[in-house]
Amino acid sequence: MTKIANFRLSKTTSVLGASLLALLATTAYGQDKPLAGVTLTLASQNDQFGAVLAKLAPEFKEATGADLKVEIMDYGTLLTKTTADFVGDTKGYDLVTMDIVWAGAYAENQYSVDLTDWVKRDAAELELDDIYPVILESLGQYDGKYVAFPFAAYANVLAYRKDLFEAAGLDVPKTMEEMVADAKTLTDPAKNQYGFVANGQMGAAVAQDWMQYNSQMGGSILGADGMPALNSPENVKSLAVYKELFADTAPPGAIEYDWGGREESFRQGIAAMMQTWSVGAPGYSDPAISNVVGKVGIATAPVGEGVAPEYGVGGWGMAINADVDAKQQEAAWTFIKWLVSKPIHKEFNLDGAGSFMRISQMTDPDLLAKFDFLPVIATTYENGNGDYRPRIPEYPEIQDILGSAVNAVLSGAVEPQAALDEAQAKAEELF
Amino acid sequence: MSQTSSTGVQPRTQTPRLGWLSRPRSFTDSRRFFLFFMAAPAVLYVLIVGVWPLAQGFWYSFFRYNLIRPARTKFIGLDNYIAIFEDRGARQAILNTFQFTLTSVSLQLFFGFCLAMLLWRDSRFNRIALAFLLIPATITPLVVGLIYKALLGADYGLIGYYLANAGIGPRTGLLTDSGTALWVLILIDCWEWTPLMALILLAGLKSLPADVLEAGRADGATAWQRFTLIVLPLMLPSIFLALVLRTMDAFRVFDSVFVTTGGGPNDATNTLMVLAVKEGLQFFNIGYASAIGNITILFIACMAAVLLLVVRRADVRINGK
Repeated sequence: MTKIANFRLSKTTSVLGASLLALLATTAYGQDKPLAGVTLTLASQNDQFGAVLAKLAPEFKEATGADLKVEIMDYGTLLTKTTADFVGDTKGYDLVTMDIVWAGAYAENQYSVDLTDWVKRDAAELELDDIYPVILESLGQYDGKYVAFPFAAYANVLAYRKDLFEAAGLDVPKTMEEMVADAKTLTDPAKNQYGFVANGQMGAAVAQDWMQYNSQMGGSILGADGMPALNSPENVKSLAVYKELFADTAPPGAIEYDWGGREESFRQGIAAMMQTWSVGAPGYSDPAISNVVGKVGIATAPVGEGVAPEYGVGGWGMAINADVDAKQQEAAWTFIKWLVSKPIHKEFNLDGAGSFMRISQMTDPDLLAKFDFLPVIATTYENGNGDYRPRIPEYPEIQDILGSAVNAVLSGAVEPQAALDEAQAKAEELF
Repeated sequence: MSQTSSTGVQPRTQTPRLGWLSRPRSFTDSRRFFLFFMAAPAVLYVLIVGVWPLAQGFWYSFFRYNLIRPARTKFIGLDNYIAIFEDRGARQAILNTFQFTLTSVSLQLFFGFCLAMLLWRDSRFNRIALAFLLIPATITPLVVGLIYKALLGADYGLIGYYLANAGIGPRTGLLTDSGTALWVLILIDCWEWTPLMALILLAGLKSLPADVLEAGRADGATAWQRFTLIVLPLMLPSIFLALVLRTMDAFRVFDSVFVTTGGGPNDATNTLMVLAVKEGLQFFNIGYASAIGNITILFIACMAAVLLLVVRRADVRINGK
């Protein structure tokens, strides 16, 4: 009879036993983590939220078991790579950050999963009542269907230099006319000080900024019939004012600025005023990148005299690639719900994503302590307009046409009327 | 009946018919067969990555074909080509591309030849100088564009800031004015590629027969006569090679333009490749972008043919053959 004391496991038995234990542990882990073994690939714009998404990936894995790979890229690359992925059915990305203006193209081509039923099913979990209606509508929906779910909303605000305004005895401009006058007053090239700065770079940069100003001055890209109205008298007039602002009050190099260049010039202290997305605001108080710490105020954007106060809303929705299989789609939806949940989205913003979109965030003490401009964002969202850049399938081409036309006007190569007439003719060919 | 012939020689056994593979071949046939199989992978590669996409591009150019709007795909014949010549921006891109190519390659040939002449004498200084001169050609054009954009910026540029302050050139910077932007791009191209042109021409100069040059000197030819009557005629093949290489390369300029001006302002620096990339990769307008690509190939082929003709004629006139 074998004595227990003499019982020894063979090496093979030991290995098998250990493997069995490991397997059991994995199974238990799998039960705890419903998405264990799943890997989600996310194509992200390189806005502030991109790095925060990557930072949150381990936390998502901890919560669900799924790996999240975040690929961060610039605007043009993101559009090209994701569109190629969609049209080629290559299933490279499960999740894609969708700019507000891509919604029309996503809907027309059914690039993304229609989330409408899932949103209805999980409405309570998503706490939809806590998200501003303008954000739900413009960052996620197109023709009443959810082509994406909002996760990073931006408000168009006026960033201004409190010290310069005080020194000049000026109040924060409420109207576009006041803004133009203040910009002229605050411009002094001898001191390398300019009253205003905006994007002038050919392409999306100048087109998007001008569309913002144009909307505030009462202009519109589409007519009442939904067709392009680029050369309307209001648009021509607003482009002439924009040109004047650039020529008289902007830093000389502003014609080459995109979003990064514009923000940089403001943070360097060259410009006194700038309309910008709220996402950039936390950077003004960061001494590592800003020369104007403590000198910046954030206000609601001015509007033209007689124009109803409506403020620009932009940002990003999270879309799920329609080509990936059902299991991946459901995992991706789990991620979206997790990301926009109250505690995680608060953490997302505390980490610097600058993507406020919940009503409760505007009065959250932790967030308010760090971002004192939240009431301005709240006012903007309450009177927000997400459609001043038309979210139609033809938008990318219209943006490019305007991007060339406005830049040409700013460079002095062509007059506003002629530039917008030519742009209108090109835009009409798209329909 | 016996199959043995009357001579007692066994008739050759009939080999089973296995098709052309089993046919007896001469040495030349076998060699050809062997060479064909050796070349087959390379030929296949060229067919797949070169000829097939080219043929597809040619085919697509007859369609209104947008990847984003596949439902609207339609055969439209030559409409894409007609649209190129009807569009002001595209016409401007064609003119800009020719202006860029002709001006920059001419300047590079002139300065490249001057540099090559200066470096002709084999000395340690010249060898070191040549190595330093080639540095620009080792930098990718995209980076060159970014460097010059940073240098010429009116607000922070090391050159642009002082130029703007001194009132030289446009207030907003040389790359932002439709009158100066293309010329700046031409100069950037010259900065980068003149040394390469000089290198090709220097290789030609080094291979010139020394006895002919010595004979010219002994016969009392002046330096100018030796240059125009001996060096230049003998250098024609090298000049042709340098011109063809640089012309083809300059005609498809893209990187430096894309990152500095993006084709603006008002299409003043738009080129065919910038236009093709924008249409193809930004708007996924494959039909129109293919037509632009095909036109570019046609232009390059025509320019190469013209260059060949010019050099041939010069060769006949100078060398009499």
